[in-house]
Amino acid sequence: MPVVDVDPDELRDLTGHDEKSDEELKEDLFNLGLEYEGETDDGELQLEFAPDRLDRLSVEGVARSLRYQYGDDRGIYVPDTNDADWTFHVDETVPEGRPYVTGAIVRDVNLSEDALDSLIQLQEKLHATMGRKRAKAAIGIHDLTMLKGQPYDEETDGPSITYRGVDPEGVSFVPLDADAEMTPAEVLEQHATGEKYADLVADFDRYPAIYDELGLFSFPPVINGRRTEVEAESRDLLIELTGTDQWTIDHICNIICYALSARGGTIEDVDIEYADAAAADDEYGANLVRPDFSVRTKSLGHDRIETVLGVDLDQNTVIDLFERSGLSASVGDDEAGDNDGVVYEVEIPPYRVDVLHPMDLVDDLGRAYGFNELEPRYPDVGTVGGRHERTRLEDAARASLVGLGFEDLLNFHMISAEANYDRLGIEPGSGVVGAGEPVEITGPYSEDYTQLRSWVLPSLLMVLENNTHRAYPQELAEIGLAAAVDEIENTNVAEWRSIGAVIARHDATYEDAKARLAALCDDFDATLETPPTEHPSFISGRVADVVVDGETVGVIGEVHPQVLVDHDLELPVAAFELRLDALR
Amino acid sequence: MRLPESQLAVVEAASATDPTAVDRLADETDLDPAAVTRAAFDLREEDLVTVDERIETDAELTDEARDYLDDGLPEVRLYRAAIEAGADDEPVSMGQLIGASDLGGPQVDIALSNFARKGYGSIDSGEVAADPDADPDSDPEAAAIEALSAGESVDDTDLLDQLERRELVEQSERTVREVTLTDKAVTALMEGIEAAETVDRLTPEMLTSGEWAEVEFAEYNVEADAPAVEGGRKHILRQTADRVKDVLVGMGFQEMEGPHADADFWINDCLFMPQDHPARTHWDRFALDVPGIQELPDQLVDRVESAHREGVGEDGEGYHSPWSRDFAEAVALRGHTTSLSMRYLSGFAGANVEPPQRYFSVEKVYRNDTLDPTHLLEFFQIEGWVLAEDLSVRDLMGTFEEFYKQFGIEDIQFKPHYNPYTEPSFELFGTHPTTGELVEIGNSGMFRPEVLEPLGIEADVMAWGLALERLLMLMYGFEDIRDVHGTLCDLELLRETEVVY
Repeated sequence: MPVVDVDPDELRDLTGHDEKSDEELKEDLFNLGLEYEGETDDGELQLEFAPDRLDRLSVEGVARSLRYQYGDDRGIYVPDTNDADWTFHVDETVPEGRPYVTGAIVRDVNLSEDALDSLIQLQEKLHATMGRKRAKAAIGIHDLTMLKGQPYDEETDGPSITYRGVDPEGVSFVPLDADAEMTPAEVLEQHATGEKYADLVADFDRYPAIYDELGLFSFPPVINGRRTEVEAESRDLLIELTGTDQWTIDHICNIICYALSARGGTIEDVDIEYADAAAADDEYGANLVRPDFSVRTKSLGHDRIETVLGVDLDQNTVIDLFERSGLSASVGDDEAGDNDGVVYEVEIPPYRVDVLHPMDLVDDLGRAYGFNELEPRYPDVGTVGGRHERTRLEDAARASLVGLGFEDLLNFHMISAEANYDRLGIEPGSGVVGAGEPVEITGPYSEDYTQLRSWVLPSLLMVLENNTHRAYPQELAEIGLAAAVDEIENTNVAEWRSIGAVIARHDATYEDAKARLAALCDDFDATLETPPTEHPSFISGRVADVVVDGETVGVIGEVHPQVLVDHDLELPVAAFELRLDALR
Repeated sequence: MRLPESQLAVVEAASATDPTAVDRLADETDLDPAAVTRAAFDLREEDLVTVDERIETDAELTDEARDYLDDGLPEVRLYRAAIEAGADDEPVSMGQLIGASDLGGPQVDIALSNFARKGYGSIDSGEVAADPDADPDSDPEAAAIEALSAGESVDDTDLLDQLERRELVEQSERTVREVTLTDKAVTALMEGIEAAETVDRLTPEMLTSGEWAEVEFAEYNVEADAPAVEGGRKHILRQTADRVKDVLVGMGFQEMEGPHADADFWINDCLFMPQDHPARTHWDRFALDVPGIQELPDQLVDRVESAHREGVGEDGEGYHSPWSRDFAEAVALRGHTTSLSMRYLSGFAGANVEPPQRYFSVEKVYRNDTLDPTHLLEFFQIEGWVLAEDLSVRDLMGTFEEFYKQFGIEDIQFKPHYNPYTEPSFELFGTHPTTGELVEIGNSGMFRPEVLEPLGIEADVMAWGLALERLLMLMYGFEDIRDVHGTLCDLELLRETEVVY
């Protein structure tokens, strides 16, 4: 879950509540769902929260939420914006893999070292979450005074910048944290940040780049140029975002604009023009004005609110709760007529990226009301409980094994090929019990867990191997999952429960295993036969197929000395393994 | 009169006039001393003997004392070396004497301290003067060591205590019991006492012949330890799972069952998890190297895709994330058993989904997380859901309070939370019954319309999930879950863990 570092002094400053102690702030923050995790070396509060309210990824957003909680602000707030002067031109050469751009101009921002740190943190956290590590959205923030707009065309004299694709080796610029000019290709190879994000553009023929009249100043999603670097003294900023989804970058842009607005900035629109209309998002078209501060509206019935929260509320209370959540609501028409006439039209501010459905607004109401105020009640709903037939069979078989003196075990379903096949002397696909085709994991955690086990016996032998210092006899059994690749199955994976048992003691013989297997089969009125067979894991002449009710379902025998030695065992082991469903 | 053989032997060996020690009776009767003592006490119950007890002190030489038997006490050796060197005349330097006497290591200190204590001479500024009148040949400590070594007793307790302080002797106390016949015993002896036959084992022949009525059974030491036996027992994590199942069945829940390897569609897409969600990257998920699932219900797939892209309902919005059927079909190990809930709620698993219904499972899930004492790559998830008309978060809170109360966890706290698939959502916190610590014990919520509408569910569904291992660790106080679950388990721990019920 995201953690955001917040300076408590800044929080007092931005909320206008100088009187709040750190402890009071922590409690107020917990009620917002921001959990205090600790402090940084600089005394900033480290707050952890679920990744829905991304507008709270900086101190400005947290302060805004607190002001609503304190009742200092009510209802929806949308900053005014000035008309566009700048144009973002999107050229046809833009790489197909990163087609979209958005942005805004913010003037007269009251930056300081602290405010700049907060802005950088916001940018990084947005990259990590909604930006999907910059793959979906990347943010560039620039000092506007260092940019020289290109005249857009002959008719309009407003300044513009151009988002385009460039030859990876055809241009050079000085990136942040560097002293020399590099081509984009060199950035990916030689610059630390470049190396980190190289994969995002590696497949592109042309790399994304943003130009002003002086040349390339941003190489999204990798790095900005040093020329336009923002300092604490910067006052006018240009924000640009590129990405794979217009909606996503527009909304991240909104969150940044709201944070800078809280720092006294004035938001100024920009015009965005896609030269290739086909490259633009169908929903918005080729000519956009951004930032998009349009307010969404969703309607929510009064009845639904009362049902979900389980309490009776009057309309004024509901509207009050909405306003304390930073939303605005009015009673609208109940066109469908199924809400006793009371439906709220709720206005949602443009920084809220988490509201997809009116149900999300009920959650806001519940938080504003205080979920802890709700009295739990046991639902008056009658149902009949019961166990699944498969697990009842498993339990009954386990009870039989325990009654026969076996210690019941529980091992991992994931195993290595070496443990599953090699150390048992068998080959996958060779047809003997345990030699099913492996269900392999594409990206295993470690070489010890590369596939699902195809039988239980290897797990039990590993337990014996790891417990040679414990008292004998060791008579162990497990009923657990085994699996093999099988095209007959819908998932292409055959899964079954297998019964494995080992008897490890100085005088263990085939007969001991057979006696117990016979007793187990007897419990389930299953007819057991043990015709001789060959199996590499067992001693030749002391191994048999387990045939239950006429069907071969497993193997029984004395474990081969080579297998014992490979498991560091110094005493004989008799064992059997069979499918649980043979006992049905 | 009839007496068991051992008691009769003791009566015959004892005397009415001279108290006889148990050890001697043991020699004479060929019984072991414990058996004689037992017989004596039994006879005393019958007023046939009196038993007198007294405490005796035994003194035994230490290894150090045995070394001195050959070499002589260090102070004596020092004295002899001093006389040899003429220290009775003129003080001699200590270094010279130590060399001459061949004393080494700790013996030097022992020699010097006892030399002065016994008045063999004086030591001043590193010079040793010997007293010509001292007589080391009559040293009482040396004499006592000699005597003890010869098996004789030493009565001078001060001397013994002194030797014990020097760690040359270890003294121990023992109880000596002496047995004397009573007049009643003497009379009985004169009248004649018969031995009652005792037997070791009850045999089938004795039972059929009726001989059992004639015999006395030899007594066992019923307090002695018996050889250790390891019975079979159900694994403690299974026991915990069964307990959870019992509770849920009692609360009206039906058990679900389904595949461990499943399509991402059932694991994630049905749950309204966007396909570019961080939890769906290869970092968190165990993708399997098999072809995609062969069959998915096409209409449901279309409805789920539509929910992802467009949202549900008039005011619904979708995610702005890519969605592909190929990814939905990809097969992976399930990261939660909510995949089963989706299969059941969709009707695909053949379950009845007419409200009201309650369903649960306690089954394994797989997470590509870091392996450490509290996190495993595979663990059991308790999954449960309730389907009913018009459920509220109060019903959810009441259900979970009732569930956790069964495990002694009261005062559940509900912290508002965010999950992509539930709204509202709550993390559940409970107080540890012994440590009093606040611990996260589950995650819960009401399934979102984007989850339920594609499934065709019109009523409300509340659901929750919890790691069984967390409950186990709370109940048993284990510190490393790997000792319990998996091939690194410790059989001794599993054998010795107290049963919790």
